[in-house]
Amino acid sequence: MPFNDFSKGLIKINPIFVLALGLCPALAVSISIENAFGMGIAVIFVLTLSNLIISLLRNVIPKDVRIPSFIVIIATFVTIVNLTFKAYLPSLSESLGIYIPLIVVNCIILGRAEAFASKNPPLRSVLDGLGEGTGFLLAILLISFFRELLGTGGINFAILGYEFGSFIIPLFSDMPALFFIMPPGAFLIIGLLLGLFKRMDVI
Amino acid sequence: MKENIKRVVVLTIIVLASSLSIYVYNNTVEDALKEQEMAELTEHINMIFPDAERFIQKDDIYYVYSDDEIIGYAFEAIGKGYGGDITILVGINNDEDLTIKKVSVLSHSETPGLGARITEDEFVSQFDNKPIDAIKLEGIDAITGATISSKAVVNAVYSEYKNKIQSIRSE
Repeated sequence: MPFNDFSKGLIKINPIFVLALGLCPALAVSISIENAFGMGIAVIFVLTLSNLIISLLRNVIPKDVRIPSFIVIIATFVTIVNLTFKAYLPSLSESLGIYIPLIVVNCIILGRAEAFASKNPPLRSVLDGLGEGTGFLLAILLISFFRELLGTGGINFAILGYEFGSFIIPLFSDMPALFFIMPPGAFLIIGLLLGLFKRMDVI
Repeated sequence: MKENIKRVVVLTIIVLASSLSIYVYNNTVEDALKEQEMAELTEHINMIFPDAERFIQKDDIYYVYSDDEIIGYAFEAIGKGYGGDITILVGINNDEDLTIKKVSVLSHSETPGLGARITEDEFVSQFDNKPIDAIKLEGIDAITGATISSKAVVNAVYSEYKNKIQSIRSE
């Protein structure tokens, strides 16, 4: 069932809400929809391609040097993403800052390399990477939606430098709950969403 | 023994392939990166010299023009901060004493909330229109909790000014 390799990442083993991997960027850059989307796209790219390469090389890489090999492969794709953002999306690159290079140590990527790509054929690994990456994107978008809404009193729909309109909540936007765009707000929102999903038996 | 060699060979090949692909990719985006850097520099120069119309670069010094007259000079100074290099653009008035017009932080990797406050107006505006000898640390209030970053900026501006001033005067 190849489709299952993709769809399982969305809900059943969602990286953030179920595996609780890759929480660092999910906490740090979920301040706005725009940042969250940029980070999500970067993670999908790195995860899918590193899964592909690692899966292709899975019978070549000796077992005891697999971790350094995985890290080098992942770091290559992260460097490519970093250069691309710097060259073509400078403002996004500036607001994501250090968190783009830090994708190298994002545990969801090494986690999928170790748990899936190093044991499964290329096509299934690509689907796994796409699925887990999309699951990450959806989760971080959801978190950033609530943080931006509560923390700034409105939402600015902007994706990779293009703006798709925005709205604000009248009155509330004059005195938004700034707490939610600060680090503790991220913990609170993730915790509440996790609790809600458990309660509703989604995960 | 054979296993040992295989380990070394495989890892070496992976690292070489990785370096090669980054090298190739870096070359393809180099032009776009340079363009972004140029755009950023122009933005900072326009912020320091609102009247600037254009600027030309000669030996690491930017000559800023308005109506074909030099209104000022700018150069980059690099300081050793707490988290790495701090690059500062220093604008100089074209007056008798060559006073500082304004400084602006181009890039840094200081701690957010502490050292990163060197980019804030409260700190950098202390340099505005000061003669160079007024900016040794006595003349500039350091940021609380970020003495190293503050000192790095002051020292970088001061020593780079002393380096560049000869060639600016001789113009």
